Amino acid sequence: MTSQTSASNPGVFDVELVLKQARAYLAFGEQVRLFTDRLGETAEAETDWGQALQQHFTQFKTAIAQSAENPNVNPELAQLWLLIADAWSQTATTLGMATETIPEALRETGAWRAYQRTQSDYFDQLRDTATEALDLMEQRLNERVAAGKTVSSLRELYNLWVDCNEETYGRMLRSSVYGELNGRLFNALLRCYARPEAQS
Amino acid sequence: MIGLTADQIAAEIEAFSARLKQGAQTLAEVGEIEAGVSPRELIYQEDKLTLYRYQPRVEKPHPVPLLIVYALVNRPYMMDLQKDRSMIRGLLDAGLDVYLIDWGYPDAGDRTLTLTDYVQRYIGHCVDILRDRHDVDRINLLGVCQGGALSLCHAALYSERIRNLITMVTPVDFQTPDNVLSHLIRHVDVDLLVDTLGNVPGQMLNFAFLSLSPFRLAGQKYVDLVNIFDDAQALKNFLRMEKWIFDSPDQAGEAFRQFAKDFFQQNKLVKGEVIIGDRRVDLREVVMPVLNVYATQDHLVPPAASKALAECCGSRDYTELSFRGGHIGIYVSSRAQREVPPAIAAWLLAR
Repeated sequence: MTSQTSASNPGVFDVELVLKQARAYLAFGEQVRLFTDRLGETAEAETDWGQALQQHFTQFKTAIAQSAENPNVNPELAQLWLLIADAWSQTATTLGMATETIPEALRETGAWRAYQRTQSDYFDQLRDTATEALDLMEQRLNERVAAGKTVSSLRELYNLWVDCNEETYGRMLRSSVYGELNGRLFNALLRCYARPEAQS
Repeated sequence: MIGLTADQIAAEIEAFSARLKQGAQTLAEVGEIEAGVSPRELIYQEDKLTLYRYQPRVEKPHPVPLLIVYALVNRPYMMDLQKDRSMIRGLLDAGLDVYLIDWGYPDAGDRTLTLTDYVQRYIGHCVDILRDRHDVDRINLLGVCQGGALSLCHAALYSERIRNLITMVTPVDFQTPDNVLSHLIRHVDVDLLVDTLGNVPGQMLNFAFLSLSPFRLAGQKYVDLVNIFDDAQALKNFLRMEKWIFDSPDQAGEAFRQFAKDFFQQNKLVKGEVIIGDRRVDLREVVMPVLNVYATQDHLVPPAASKALAECCGSRDYTELSFRGGHIGIYVSSRAQREVPPAIAAWLLAR
């Protein structure tokens, strides 16, 4: 991925930057997930919710700052995510305790916690697959460059992104690991709402 | 060099926005989206089931009626979507007398319906009505997708009532390696699902189908919509398909339980182990002429899943018809209109 960088011509769209942005987004998503997991645990245990929230935002920003050291993540973009985290932090502290969308009685069940854990595994799997798709997209772009072909529109670039995601997602879908994980997730969700006699 | 410049991107975004604006205008003008266009009369009703007869399009239609058994998932107007995309119209044009079972929308009162109700009672009653109406011992049966599997069961149990059987994109071997649906459902606790939800929501099944190809079906398809925003007719066709896709009846709980467990998870149809009522379904009893129509690019029912019928049915007059297209394209593409109904009609009229 050398010839499509903007260094030689600032007027040319930088695809590599877009790929880095996408990778940073996935890394950011992972941090958001960890953040919300911790927040859920805190909400159950802490009384001073505002203080706990600030602590978590600090941990979150530290993690984002560390991910900026990843060579695949653009440091300027990581900085952007940090700014976003700051804005969230300020907004959240003025809002107070988050609104509950899941009934408390359900949130306290072992079934719900089991579902949350499985969902976390599921998101990890999806994120890995999305990262694979970006790698594949980079490879395809390199092949185009090597063949002297160009990308003539954003739509073409988007279509390539769709193709790559469908390819890696389809591979994931057919894997035995995903089949088992998908079933586990679905069954775990059902157990949250199952009538007692339906529980296995 | 990728070759995209900021000016090009700005121009593309501007053109895209202009198309969106035009689309809003076109959408406001398309009007009602109708589907199911061929004239038909109601012949019989039982619970949620309705049996229709389509108005023949030739003076003297074929004396042996053709009964279409659609799947329980989705709605049967896919077979008669619009005038230029209607498999039913094609069959009528070829001189056939066409009937169709509309399963309706099961509700809480249908939770305990079993496959025995569908295969023996509902299909059985419709077959009998047609035999009486047309004064024939045997009728022609055409099963679509899951409706094909139900038709196979009926034909195996009551072979003396079926003159010819046509299966369209019908799964027979549910565990071929390329069957993604089967791969996914194998790990689902079907008892827990049905015991928890009762009837299985159609929207849940719809989500499962869309999640097989989410980047195309939930994203790209709608981005590509801008390409037809200046074409009211094409947009109307698109919306008609959307209407059909998201018109998903709930599934009667007990029937779903049996279908998911016996057909998908345990592959009992090819093993000859499906029980309907107190009888075992043995596909070797399917001895009438069989036309098995499958789509080569079917991502829901892979060709191998359909073609397995050749090995396990008892018919000595077994024919396969391969269509180059997908699970839906076989009904609605313009090539399908030219190829599939005439081929089915020709096969039937020769028998």
